[in-house]
Amino acid sequence: MNWFGFGFNGFGQIRANEKLADGESALDANVTYPISIDIVCRNLEEEPVQICQHNSSVDTQIRTSWSRRAALHSNSDGRLCLAGFGVGTPSQRGCGGCVEESRGCQDAHISEGYLALSFTDRVECWNSERNEKKPGWSMAIPDNNGPSLAFPLVPGGYIASKPPFYHPLSPQLLAVSLALGTEHAVLLTASGDIYTWGSGSHGQLGHGDLNPQEEPRAMEALMGMPMSTVAAGGWHSVCTSAGGDLYVWGWNESGQVGLPSRALRGEQQKSQGTGGASTCKDQESSDDVFISIQAFPALVDVTQSCEVSKISCGSRHTAAVTSTGDLYTWGWGEYGQLGQGTVNSSDEPRRVEFFKDQGLRVVDVVCGPWNTFVSAIKEDPSLHPDTNILYPL
Amino acid sequence: MAELWSAISAALPVTEAEFPLDFSEKVEPSVVDVLKRCREQLYTRSGRWRQNAQIILDFSWEKLNTGTWRDVDKEWRCLYSYGCLFKVAALCRDDASPATVQEAIRTCDMGLLMGAAIMDNILQTFVRILQNEIGKRHSNEEDPGEGVSAKKMKVDCVSVPVVKQDRAVPRIHCPSLESFKKDYLDPQKPVILEGIIDHWPAFKNHPWSIEYLQTVAGCRTVPVEVGSRYTDEEWSQTLLTVNEFIDRYIVVKGASSLGYLAQHQLFDQVPELKDDIRIPDYCCLGEGDEDDITINAWFGPGGTVSPLHQDPQQNFLAQVVGRKYIRLYSPEDTEKLYPHQLQLLHNTSQVEVESPDVVRFPAFVKAPYLECVLQPGEVLFIPVKHWHYVRSLELSFSVSFWWS
Repeated sequence: MNWFGFGFNGFGQIRANEKLADGESALDANVTYPISIDIVCRNLEEEPVQICQHNSSVDTQIRTSWSRRAALHSNSDGRLCLAGFGVGTPSQRGCGGCVEESRGCQDAHISEGYLALSFTDRVECWNSERNEKKPGWSMAIPDNNGPSLAFPLVPGGYIASKPPFYHPLSPQLLAVSLALGTEHAVLLTASGDIYTWGSGSHGQLGHGDLNPQEEPRAMEALMGMPMSTVAAGGWHSVCTSAGGDLYVWGWNESGQVGLPSRALRGEQQKSQGTGGASTCKDQESSDDVFISIQAFPALVDVTQSCEVSKISCGSRHTAAVTSTGDLYTWGWGEYGQLGQGTVNSSDEPRRVEFFKDQGLRVVDVVCGPWNTFVSAIKEDPSLHPDTNILYPL
Repeated sequence: MAELWSAISAALPVTEAEFPLDFSEKVEPSVVDVLKRCREQLYTRSGRWRQNAQIILDFSWEKLNTGTWRDVDKEWRCLYSYGCLFKVAALCRDDASPATVQEAIRTCDMGLLMGAAIMDNILQTFVRILQNEIGKRHSNEEDPGEGVSAKKMKVDCVSVPVVKQDRAVPRIHCPSLESFKKDYLDPQKPVILEGIIDHWPAFKNHPWSIEYLQTVAGCRTVPVEVGSRYTDEEWSQTLLTVNEFIDRYIVVKGASSLGYLAQHQLFDQVPELKDDIRIPDYCCLGEGDEDDITINAWFGPGGTVSPLHQDPQQNFLAQVVGRKYIRLYSPEDTEKLYPHQLQLLHNTSQVEVESPDVVRFPAFVKAPYLECVLQPGEVLFIPVKHWHYVRSLELSFSVSFWWS
């Protein structure tokens, strides 16, 4: 598989710091089209320089924070490689930092302050500076006889992105998947029900009001319809049904819910030079319905025929992968995180044509707060499906 | 054009080393890294510092929208102000066109509205420099053909409510501190104080008018409430310049919506207007000092309505321009006023005062009240927690003083 990235690159998470043609540093530019990210990593601490090369049988996952991107190589020697703020010397290879402490880890979460590593028998939370010899916090994990849990779920609860790390969850919930937003959480249970809790100030809990919830509360609007995936952003939430329908709720200030956004249209009018008090007023017809907060889940038609298989949320944008291998993005686009070659935001799902143009089938998507990472494989059936090809910038 | 940049840079520390960037550990090192980049680019004049300023603005904006406004850490508000500072510097460095100057003023206003004062309130200093720039340009140009005074205001046929004698709020002329305290403050009785703001420059030296406001604050960005009242579904808040607000909601009153510059601490934002008013002496009867008094501006066309509600502090409502119809209910009669159950609105009544739904709210018509038409030059004392309903009868500008 190959990973591509686009959006905020202020710390070289997508493209390493290099001098561009016009003399500017790559860190000052936003990446608006998908570019291939090099996740061949180099262990900086050892001499001679070792290159751990992933081969076709190794799946690589991506984990992100605002200023960093981590590549999680899942072979038996599972290891995490970081790029971005504070990571080694940026080099032409892009990825600069193998995290020694991560050897053998199964999964990880990175936040601005911490790096959480999940092993089979324990969880460790390291300070991001990583100048200490041992993790700031760790917890042993009992043998889990139940179904395998997706991190940040652990037996009995979940791991948050800052202290206190461990939060218990009622075993009756039968949690299988958990998405943590900036101030809220979206939980998927074994029976396909969704529970939400945290701040509700922007409708992100989906209960039809703006009240916070201290304890997980079932989303009644979706009861009876088994859901299969969940994702959470800064102030919005997304889920897909078993049948591939997409539901979104929460703040729509930047169009991240995929419904008409007044704030977005207003900004677009201003930049097109149609600003000026009276003109704006004239163009607003009384039939326009704008949504700034969607407090109940809304069914969003990403595309007419296909099912949505994977979803991910950034701070204020949303990405969805269809069963036919297309990527759709919408929401805040000021850093190029929608991958459309512009810095425009969108309140309608739009396909990212790059992948189709390159004959690539999108397999997965992982959003950082202000950027997007996509894994894709070559669609050409004549090639061996496991062939690993890196595409030029 | 270079004059603008030299004025702006003169307001900044001379060297990079003297430019403070001190934050608590709450602000992550990655963010401080971007700030330092901004600072370096400001002094070396290289790099895309406009972009880096935007990163600071976007990051801090997200923090300002996390949690409740009251609980937002001051660090994030300071960070937002730094973002505004760097953005303004970047704008003024590039050019000094009218559009750029206006955008720079707007950026300063955003920092003043949402940020926290940094570097001796440098954003206020920037505003002064930028307004100067606009002033210079106007004195070089001829007066625009369509003068400000040529804008005709839509004149409303105003129906002035007749105040019943036995319901009238009592009036008193220039009472002594002692008699005000004994007769009204201590027993918590509403009263209209006459003659106590006649000395305000807002009446004498520069009488407030639309033209005066446009001159003094026309290019400043302010929050405006749009919609007939804040309990309506269609109600929203937006940011406009004072000029835009006047053009859109005062001069040509919108057929479908009202705009109200309401409950805004305009006098912190525009010091020239603060000089035109005085804090009533009677506020010294309270416990706090002057800094604890909240002064709000209320500026809008006829027809603006503040639904019946109560506030947690004593209030002097000073009327400067135009007239307002006001009705007052005692906190003793609260149950007859059917406050909203929602926490967010529990200080607001569900009843539409001038056309109550007697089926849903039968006890309302039995609640005793006082009413008045407040005229320019008069000050209404609204005791703490006293329910009040306000409707402007014409173009109106009021100043409220919340004190304890």
